[in-house]
Amino acid sequence: MTVEGRNYGLPDPRLEKARHVKYWTRCIKTFLPHQYTGNDSNRMYLAFLMVSALDLLDALYTACSEDERRGFIDWIYHCQHPDGGFRMWPGTDFGERADASNAKWDPANVPATYFALSSLLILGDDFKRVRRKQTFQWLRRVQRPDGSFGEILMDGRVEGGRDPRAGYCAAGVRYILHGAKKHAPEMGDGNEDINVDDLVRCIRICQMFDGGIADEPFHEPHAGYTFCSLGCLSLMDRLNTGKYPSTDERYGPSDVQEVIRWLVHRQTNILDPGGALDSEFLGTKTAKLDPLEVDKLLTQTSDAQAVPEPSSSSAFAINTECAGMNGRTNKVADTCYAWWSGASLHMLGQPNLYDQTAVRKYLLEKTQHPVLGGFGKFPGDLPDLYHSYLGLAALSLAGSDEVKEVDASMCVSKDVRARLSGLWEAWDVENLADDAST
Amino acid sequence: MGKYSDDPAWADVTPLPTDEGGPNPLAAIAYSEEYEETMSYLRAAMAANEFSPRVLDLTEDLIDMNPAHYTVWLYRAHCLFAINSDLKEELDWLNETALQHQKNYQIWHHRMLILDKLDSCEGEGEFVERMFEKDAKNYHVWSYRQWLVKRFALWENGELEFTEKLIEKDVRNNSAWNHRWYVINGREGEGVRGITDPRIREREVDFAEVAVAKAPQNQSPWSYLRGIARKGGMPLSSLKDFVSQYASLEQPDEVRSSHALDMMAEILAEEDNGKQQAGAALDMLAQKYDPIRKNYWEYRKGMLGLPSAAA
Repeated sequence: MTVEGRNYGLPDPRLEKARHVKYWTRCIKTFLPHQYTGNDSNRMYLAFLMVSALDLLDALYTACSEDERRGFIDWIYHCQHPDGGFRMWPGTDFGERADASNAKWDPANVPATYFALSSLLILGDDFKRVRRKQTFQWLRRVQRPDGSFGEILMDGRVEGGRDPRAGYCAAGVRYILHGAKKHAPEMGDGNEDINVDDLVRCIRICQMFDGGIADEPFHEPHAGYTFCSLGCLSLMDRLNTGKYPSTDERYGPSDVQEVIRWLVHRQTNILDPGGALDSEFLGTKTAKLDPLEVDKLLTQTSDAQAVPEPSSSSAFAINTECAGMNGRTNKVADTCYAWWSGASLHMLGQPNLYDQTAVRKYLLEKTQHPVLGGFGKFPGDLPDLYHSYLGLAALSLAGSDEVKEVDASMCVSKDVRARLSGLWEAWDVENLADDAST
Repeated sequence: MGKYSDDPAWADVTPLPTDEGGPNPLAAIAYSEEYEETMSYLRAAMAANEFSPRVLDLTEDLIDMNPAHYTVWLYRAHCLFAINSDLKEELDWLNETALQHQKNYQIWHHRMLILDKLDSCEGEGEFVERMFEKDAKNYHVWSYRQWLVKRFALWENGELEFTEKLIEKDVRNNSAWNHRWYVINGREGEGVRGITDPRIREREVDFAEVAVAKAPQNQSPWSYLRGIARKGGMPLSSLKDFVSQYASLEQPDEVRSSHALDMMAEILAEEDNGKQQAGAALDMLAQKYDPIRKNYWEYRKGMLGLPSAAA
C-alpha cells in the first residue's frame, strides 16, 4: 500500500541471505570469470573479500570444508615473501629461477600483507608460519622520510602512491603484529617501530578547506581516503574524536567537527547515475532523470541573470525513506561509500549522525541483486566482489541484524578482531628464537 | 599455439608458468590462454632481467590485459631508460592506454616518470582536456593536473581561467572548485599568498557568490566560502547579508539553500544572545530543509548547549 509515496504495512526489506551465501560460495569455490583478469595482481585483496564476506554471513565454516580452508591458508603462506611481508599473488615469484639479480621484480606488498594477515585471522590460523620479525623490519623500510607509506620496495627505493591506502594497511599490519602495545619482542629495543608521529602528520596535512580528507595535500577530499586516514589513526591509537585540541599534533584529524560535517553530507538522495549531476550528460540522459534531479539540473544550467526561485523544496534532501552515500561532493550515491563514509562516522564515535534506516533501504532495495545475491555499484548493476563485500559490511554498520557485527576500523567482524588478543598473549611468552623466520 | 610460442623471435625463451602452490588457491581466475601465455613469457623475461625492444611489446600486451600489475610498470620504465627508447612514442601509447583504463592507478605514476625525464609538458594540456571530456571528475586526472602545475610551474599559465571555464560548464563540478583552491593557495608554503591576500579574498568571495546565485543548493561554492572564512581569516559574519538572501529566519518558508541555512546557524551562534536563533535555524534544517541529516542538526544543537527538539 502506498500512501503519499510512503510504504505502510509492508515489511522492511530483508537481506536475501541465502542468495548472498550462494554468491560468495560460488566465488570462493570456482574460478572467478575472466573479467577479473585486470585484478590478477590484486588477488590477495579479492581473497580477503571472499573469506571475510563468508565470515560476515556466518557461513565460512559451512560453505568450505576443513580441507579447503587449510588449502586457502596454505595458498596465503605460499604468497609470503622470504624476507617478510606478502605478495598479492604468486605471479611475481620466479620459483627455481629466483636469484639476487631478479629479486627486485618480486617484492612484498603492503596492502597484500594486511589482507593476507587479516585473511589468516578470519580463517582461524595460528600465525605460526608468519615471519613476524622480518615482516616488521620490512614494514619500517617501506615508510618514506616524510612519513608516508609506499606499497613496495625496489632496489631499496619505496615505490607506489603516497596515499593513505598504504598507510592504513601498514597501520593494520603493525596492529595485527603487535597490537596497541608500545613494545613487542619484534620491535627489539623499541626504536624499531614505524615512525608514527610522521605518519600522523601526513594525514593531518591532507584535511582540506571543506573539512574532508584527501590522499595528498590540496587534492579533492574523498570518502575512501577519509576512511583510510581515520582507520590508520585509529589502529595506531592516534584518532582524535574530539577529546584533544586540534593543535595536538600527536593526534588527527586536525579538525574533527569539520570532518564530521563533511561526512554527514555524503548522504544523498541522488541515487541514479543516469541522473548524476554531471551536466555534460544532460543531453543524452534526460530520459532517465527523475523530477528531483531535473530540478537540480535546471538550476545548474541557468545563468546568473535568470536565477530561478526554487519555490518547491525538491532540490533539498527531503527523502528520508531511502538515501545512499556518495564519495565526494556533488557525486551520485554508490554502494561502497555507504561503507567508507558510514565507517568513518562510526570510528569518530558518531554512528547515529547518518540516517542508517535510509541507508539500509538503499542497499537492500536498490543495489542488492534480487536474484544473484551480492550488491552492485549502482541500482540495477550486476554484483561484483568489491561492492558485494562493502555492501554487507555497510549493512552491518547500519544496524542490520542479519550480518555479523563488523569492526569499523579493521573492516572484519568483531569476532575476528577479538581473536587477536589470544595471539598477542601467545607471542608475549614466546621466545623470538621460535619465530617461524629463523 | 600462441602468439609467443609460435614466434621464432621468442624461441630462445623458456616460458615460466605461475606456481599456485597447491590445490586450493584463493581468487583463482579463469584466465584466457592468451593471458596465461603472455604472463609466463613476461615472468621468464623478468627473471632473466632482459631489457630489449621485444620486452616493451611484451609488457604492452600484459598491461593491456592487467594494468594493475604493480611491478610490470616499473620493469617497463627500467627497460625504456635502459635501451634509450623514444619517450614521445611512449606518451602516445600511454594516451591510448589511459583512455582505456581510466581508473587505473599505476599508469599515472608511469606518466609522471616519463614527463619528468622528458622535462617538458608539451601536449599535456590537450591530453588532460581529452580525459576530462570523458569524465570531468576523474580523480587521477585531477591529481595529475596538480602535479603538472607544480612540476612545470604552470601556476600563472591560465590555470585559474581553466578552473573558471570548467566551473562555467558545470557549476557543480567540485573537482574544479577544489583545483581552483589549489591554484590560489598551493604556493603558500613558498611564500606566495593566496586566500590570505585581501584582494584575492575579495575576488574569490565574489566568484563564489555569483556561483551560488546560479544554483543556491549547490554545496561547492558554499564550502568554498566557508573555506575562505576559515583559512583566510575572514569572520563568517561578514557574509551575513549575502547568506540572508538565501536563508532568513524571518522568512522560514522562503529558504533557498540548506547550506545557507547551515551557515546562518553558525553566524547566529556566534552573536550575543544568538544561540536560540541558531537553534531555530537548525530546527528548520532538521524538520523541513534537510531532514536526511536530522540527527546531525540535533547534534549541532547539542554542541550549542541547546536541548533537542521533541520528536
